Amino acid sequence: MNEIARADYRGQHRATLRRTLIAAALVALIIFSWQMAEIRPAAFFAADSIAAVIDFLKGLFPPDLSTDFLRIVFVAAGRTVAIAIAGTLLSIIIGLPLGVIATSTLFRRGVLLAGERRGVSTFLLAGVSRAARALLGFLRAVPDLMWGLLFVVAVGLGSLAGALALAVSYAGVLGRVYADVFESVDARPLEALHATGATRSQVFVRAVWPQSKPAVIAYTLYSFECCMRAASVLGFIGAGGIGYEISLSMRLFRYDQVLTLIIAFILLLTATDAFSRYLRRRLRANAPQGTLAHERVNGLGSVLITGISLERVMNIAIAITAIAIVTGSFYASGFFDGSLMDATLLQRMGRFVGAMMPPEVSASFLRSLVEPLFQTIGISVMGTLIGMAIGALLALPATATLIFIEKDEAGKRSRTERAARRGIYTFARTVLSLLRSIPELVWVLMCIIAVGLGPFAGAVAIGLHTGGVLGKLYAETLEEAPENPLEALRSTGARRVQVLVWGIWPQARPMLVSYTVLRWETNLRVSTVLGLVGGGGLGQAIYNNIQLGFYTRVATLILVVYALVVTTDWIGDRLRERPAS
Amino acid sequence: MIYSLKEVSKKYSTRNGSVHSLDGVTFDVQQGERVALIGPSGAGKTTLFRLLNATLRPTDGEIRFDGKDVGLMPARALRAMRRRIGTIYQQHHLVPSLTALENTLCGKLGQWSLLQTLRNIIKPAPAEAEQAMAALESVGLADKRRARADELSGGQQQRLAIARALMQNPDVILADEPFASLDPALTESIASLLFGLIDGGKRTMVVTLHDVEMAMWYFPRIVALREGRIVFDRPSTQINRDELDALYAGNLNSTHERDEMRSSFKSERNCAR
Repeated sequence: MNEIARADYRGQHRATLRRTLIAAALVALIIFSWQMAEIRPAAFFAADSIAAVIDFLKGLFPPDLSTDFLRIVFVAAGRTVAIAIAGTLLSIIIGLPLGVIATSTLFRRGVLLAGERRGVSTFLLAGVSRAARALLGFLRAVPDLMWGLLFVVAVGLGSLAGALALAVSYAGVLGRVYADVFESVDARPLEALHATGATRSQVFVRAVWPQSKPAVIAYTLYSFECCMRAASVLGFIGAGGIGYEISLSMRLFRYDQVLTLIIAFILLLTATDAFSRYLRRRLRANAPQGTLAHERVNGLGSVLITGISLERVMNIAIAITAIAIVTGSFYASGFFDGSLMDATLLQRMGRFVGAMMPPEVSASFLRSLVEPLFQTIGISVMGTLIGMAIGALLALPATATLIFIEKDEAGKRSRTERAARRGIYTFARTVLSLLRSIPELVWVLMCIIAVGLGPFAGAVAIGLHTGGVLGKLYAETLEEAPENPLEALRSTGARRVQVLVWGIWPQARPMLVSYTVLRWETNLRVSTVLGLVGGGGLGQAIYNNIQLGFYTRVATLILVVYALVVTTDWIGDRLRERPAS
Repeated sequence: MIYSLKEVSKKYSTRNGSVHSLDGVTFDVQQGERVALIGPSGAGKTTLFRLLNATLRPTDGEIRFDGKDVGLMPARALRAMRRRIGTIYQQHHLVPSLTALENTLCGKLGQWSLLQTLRNIIKPAPAEAEQAMAALESVGLADKRRARADELSGGQQQRLAIARALMQNPDVILADEPFASLDPALTESIASLLFGLIDGGKRTMVVTLHDVEMAMWYFPRIVALREGRIVFDRPSTQINRDELDALYAGNLNSTHERDEMRSSFKSERNCAR
């Protein structure tokens, strides 16, 4: 017993020491971030900033619903959709081949290569595959808005720059996901086909593709949703669409138009969500029992319409509509109006890339990057912390299992209490979805009104959006905590808060930590671009240097952003691997 | 009289209409009594059990605890009532990521103020920690106090659940199938632990059991349920074989199970002698 106690004490001592060190490091990081992000809570309570916010809020109402303006909104929304569709399609066209080449099980290791003689060609192929993966990583790590800025410079203001930026950025995302999906398929069919002497492309078409098709479709649809979001935001840097109109109306102080545009934006995203959910359900429904449904409709169709089945007509109609929409999208994004055919376009792009080479590495320039770099990190950390606070505060009333009284719960029931609880829950959920659906860049513009230009506005903007995202994730995680232990705690007479602290929290903690770290990674990417609209950090430096035409410096900055994002992802992965602390 | 149930029913609605889990159950439990609820699976034992610890509301009828109507209790009174009832669940219902010591401390939750709750999650008060250690020691888990609950074996989890109930220091102990997942040797040790909890007749105990031999051996009073109704309710000395066979009739599985349990239990008792 004595020995146990001593070992116990030593173990405890070590654990305490480690915990103290981690806590100290965290406190240091927070103080540092606080400084770098120039957090000034007092700025919110200054008389003139309160007045500015009140003016802004007053200006929002009533939203501008005049027909003239609605026409503008409609065109802008259409353009955003067009950019998103064109961007998604191009990203598939670029991402799929790169993803296939980057698949390690096809070119680098595994059953297809196990028995092969190692020659120059296998070595070369492996090298190409590795390079493809690295390229995808690069495309993905540079934020979509940064790509947007570069394409605006390269091909000029307008939708084309937006569509190309989405194409490049999401090709990186999709290619990487495709490669991961292709790599995770069951290897046995591959081995079997390989044994029959099938070529690599035959193996891919017959064994890899059929297994990964559902996941590929699901991720592609998800990526389309992301593209829609990104397309709206890209407008802020001059790539057309709703974002462009929002930034325009902000600059004209027409806040009533801003409200209309934000409502339109939210409606657009809701419609996209619904559409992709519908598509997903349809594709899933078709996949397993497709033949059965097919036959039934076919039979019915041939009775109704002699010769052509109903299903066939439907399919042809859908195909024609799809082709029309896609063509329209490319047209509206400026692919056919001559600008792409313009001989000088490629020349201009080439000249731009040439102008970026070689990236500037002079010591004085590199030294000048330290501050914006730290500022970016500071903004991401403070933004995430603010988001955590907002999210945690709103997640508790938004957790159904905490806030509602179960129908079967024993004891007296009071109708007013139930109504009050439902009211609180609905309020919290509404606020969360409002915070979430307004993108960070729009929040930045609003925060600038309240606290002025600079990193503080950026941190608060990230915090508000993150609060909405994390609040929802937190609430869902808390709701999913296994119920049995909670029932046991309740049966000892514990209150709700006690059940939360002793039962739900310990069960949900690993997931909560993991979501928060993931969100921090996302926020770091966002904080590198906030500067484009006046939110401080590296984005500001990139914007300034582009304006001044110092393209070699822009190249260095992009490499810095790339390195920063890769480092963050690496740190995030390490943090998430250890669920305990 | 600690419990008084009058015409208690519990209906669950399913796709094919509502199903009676309990149908007009009436019985009383006196202070200090030891009662076993028996019956085939699906008889409504677990539902009745959840009604007794006030985590479930009956569809019809009245449950009184210590003379007070549970259906009229506001949240505070309900918590006060639950504080006096220690529940040992069949699946143990421990918080998997908390240590054995922390799970034991959970028994005290109903008695802590909010401030104490927050304080104790960081570092339990010395008096509480000592009491929890004593509870763990009495179930033989003192050396496992730092192990997470999900790292413990089934028998250890069962003992931990008992430690939690000990910590709560309740007036009534409810145990749902406390021997269901245990081998004979463990059954013996858990049984002695459990009956040690009664503390010389000060505490009331209601246990659900599918093992009739065990029920008759340890419990002076037996309430038999079948299809949500009470079939008989009398001292275990006055129960005959035919009644028991009728209770489990048409329930091949559990009869078989019962025979198996009976033989294993007998051989174990012989060994003990």
